[in-house]
Formats: sequence, structure tokens, C-alpha cells
Amino acid sequence: MTSEFLLLSLVVVTALAFDFTNGFHDTANAMATSIATKALSPKAAVTLSAILNLVGAFLSVEVAITVTNSVIKIQDSSGAVTPSLTADGGHALLVILMAALAGAIIWNILTWLWGLPSSSSHALFGGLVGATVASLGWGGVKWWGSDGHLDGVLGKVVLPALISPAVAIVVALVGTRLVFAITRGVAQRYQEAGFRWGQIGTASLLSLSHGTNDAQKTMGVITLALIATNPTMPTDEIPLWVKFACAMAIASGTYIGGWRIIRTMGKGLVEVLSPQGMAAESSSAAVILTSSQMGFPLSTTHVCTGSIIGSGLGRTGATVRWGVAGRMVGAWMITLPSAALVAAALWWIGHLLGDGLGDLAIFAALVGAALFMWWRSRRDPINPSNVNDEWDDGKPAQAEPVREAV
Amino acid sequence: MDQLWAALEATWRILLVGLVLGAGLPALFALGVRSLAWGSGIEAGDQANVTVLKPHLVGRIIAYVLFAIVISAVLAGVGYIVAHGLGYSVTFNGLVPTFSHK
Repeated sequence: MTSEFLLLSLVVVTALAFDFTNGFHDTANAMATSIATKALSPKAAVTLSAILNLVGAFLSVEVAITVTNSVIKIQDSSGAVTPSLTADGGHALLVILMAALAGAIIWNILTWLWGLPSSSSHALFGGLVGATVASLGWGGVKWWGSDGHLDGVLGKVVLPALISPAVAIVVALVGTRLVFAITRGVAQRYQEAGFRWGQIGTASLLSLSHGTNDAQKTMGVITLALIATNPTMPTDEIPLWVKFACAMAIASGTYIGGWRIIRTMGKGLVEVLSPQGMAAESSSAAVILTSSQMGFPLSTTHVCTGSIIGSGLGRTGATVRWGVAGRMVGAWMITLPSAALVAAALWWIGHLLGDGLGDLAIFAALVGAALFMWWRSRRDPINPSNVNDEWDDGKPAQAEPVREAV
Repeated sequence: MDQLWAALEATWRILLVGLVLGAGLPALFALGVRSLAWGSGIEAGDQANVTVLKPHLVGRIIAYVLFAIVISAVLAGVGYIVAHGLGYSVTFNGLVPTFSHK
């Protein structure tokens, strides 16, 4: 077994692990409000979401492998990799991908531990930027696009992160106002039942859309790694096993359910009633699909959080916990730089230890960090049994440890 | 600077379409819930004090028409996601979606 093959295998495993964290990090986006209003039981919600993510991932027939082009310059527009990075059997590129993915995973698990929804795409972009700066210098990063085309760190990360939550807040606020004004006087029991059905429909739409969008990022990264070691591979085709593995990874991540994040989004931000939940989810679905049609690269997490806040502002009597919202916004702002720093540090460790040993060290550091954070999460586990408990001063509720808790 | 303009250009369009679909459809759904409540004979009151009124067929018909509109919008959304995944781009001439291969 050559060292390139070993490294390639590690990159593939790490990419699938990232896809898995992407799944459980984002379950909350589609399902948090449905779980909070009891439109769906926690288990039913994650099962439905997982199935739709799986279907969505398989629907991604046309996948671009140019995902890295958003923030760094290691591929041309056809997907072909800069020759200097593939000169030594692809080792240079594989180490960049390895460090980038590890940085993104560590940030994803850390924000999950804190119960904060943060963007998995921004974490991935951050990892790529960090590893690229460490290996190629600042010139390897694409900071902004040209010709009025939104691109680079500014156009694909910073501006959308500022704009998309604001748009979602407005849309959800208006929707919630309208819904409550129209149904005023209708028996509350009647309202809840009707809107729960609406919630299930819109939550399903969000899950399906997530599967088509997010799984293909990992498919692109794995295919890029394969091309690095085998330059004769076509750049316009994703191998079937890659598609299958990514679909399974994101769906199983979704099924495991990021209960800590679901709790923050469903109970921590605002107390959500069914009509609000439906207004929030419709707002998210409309904003996400419209942006996708216009090629505006927003993050699902930011839109869904914005919608929930907007639905809280729209209902008279509901209070938004701005402390919780503030912590989230703080996490969004440091997602890209944090993932970048971790990735850059890992790349340097790998570089100093040299080929072979260095690659294993990056992987070992990732596994160690992940296990530590998982162990740390056992102190205050959040699981389907306590995900809907009353929110208490921003501190997660205590519960008996349960084995399947994540 | 051109990045900021490009983003703002996209923002107002997303906001406009978002308001029509993202706030308009739940409002239609709410009208449906209200019509159904009227059609089924429960119109007013809270949980403790529900005033039962005569059921109205018209209310139920209006409700199901409104629900049908909302459901078809959700299905259109599903169709849109599927078409995109399969590599088709969708353009809208007025309200009629047109599919073309990318």
C-alpha cells in the first residue's frame, strides 16, 4: 500500500465524516420548529428529514466538482487542478483537503457542543482558506469576484451572511403577523392542528432542498481528491460509489439528530407556536429557493435562524431571547476564521512531521479532538427526551444520561 | 464595491419574491384554516369557551380550494428542487415554468 493511497483513504473517510457532521448540524434548520410545536415527535422528525436528505442527495445528478473555486484558487473553471499541486502524486493537494476538512469538522463539533447553529459550508470554506494560506500563501485565496459576479470570501461568505438573515427576519415577521391577524378569534386548538400539517409540508421541502445542496459539496471534494491521485479521471463525472457514500453519510448524520442545536433553535430563541412555525419554515423555504434560482449563495442555517427570530418578532407576546441570538451571530462571524486557523495549524503539523507521519498526525488530531468534545458533551446530554424541556436562563436542561443521546 | 452592489441587487429581488411566496402562502393557508373553522361550525372562542356555530358548506369548499393552492405551491417547490438536481434550469415566463437542460 503506497502512502498516497493511505492518504487518499484518510481524505475520503474525513470527507464522509464532514458530511455526517453537516447532516446532524443542519437537522435543526428543517425540523427544530416542528419538534418544538410537537407537529412531529422528535424521532419521527429526524427520520422524515433523513429520508428526504437521502432522496435529495441522490437527485444531485449534475454535481460540480468546482466547489473549492468559491474561495481558493487551486482549480480552473473546468475543475482541473493546478499542476504543481498534483506533481508528487497529488500529495500536496490531498494534505490541503485533509487539513481543510479536519478544521471544518472540529469547528462543526465545537459549535454543536455549544448548541449553536453555524454554517457547515462556511466551516468548509474556512478550512479550505486556512489550509491554502498555510501551504500556498495569501495569494491562493480568492477574496472577491469580478464583473459584478458574486464570488470569493466576500461575495460567497461575508455578504450573504449579513444579508440572508435580515431578509429572512423580514419575510417571517410579515408572514407571522398576517397569519395571526387572519386567524384571530379561531379556537386555538383548531389553529394548532391545522398549522401542524402546514409545518410538516414546509419542513419536508427544506429537508429535500438540503439533501440536494449540501451532499454535493462533499461529493465534489471527494472527487477532487480522486482526481489529484489519478489525473486521467474525467472532471465532469462523480463516481457512483462517491454519490452513494455521501448520501448515506448525510442521511445518517441527519438521523442521529443534532439535539443540542435543535433545542437552541426550537426552544432557546423564541417559544414557537404552530402558526409561527409554519410562517418561519415557509419564509426559509421561499428565501432559499429564490436565492438558489438567482445564484445567490446563502447559508441555510442563517436563513432558518433569521426566520425563527422574525416569527418571534411577528407574534405579539412572544419574546426573542437576544442573548441566545447574539451568541449565534458571534459564532457565525468567527466560523470562517476559526475553521481556517484550525486547518492552518493542522496543515503545519502535517508539514513539519513530513509525508506519511504528518498525514496520520492530522487524522489523529481530528479523532482526538472529536472524541474529547463528544466526551465533554456527556456532562449535559441533550436527547429526544429532554429536547423540548423548558428553556432555563440559557442553560441546557439536565437529564439522565441516555445511551443513544447525541 | 461592485460585489456590494451585486449583493444588494439580488437582495431586493429575493426579498420581494420571498414576501410573496414566504409570507403570502402562509397567509393563504391561514385563510384556509379560518374558512375551515367557519365551515365546520367552530368559529369563535378559546379553549375554555368555544362557541359552536352552524357548519357552512361554503366555508369548507373555500378552505379546500385554498389548501389546494398552498399544496400545489409546495409541490411546485419540490418539482423545482428535483429539476435543479437533475441538471435542468427553470425559467419563469410570467407564471409558466419552462425547463431547459443546462
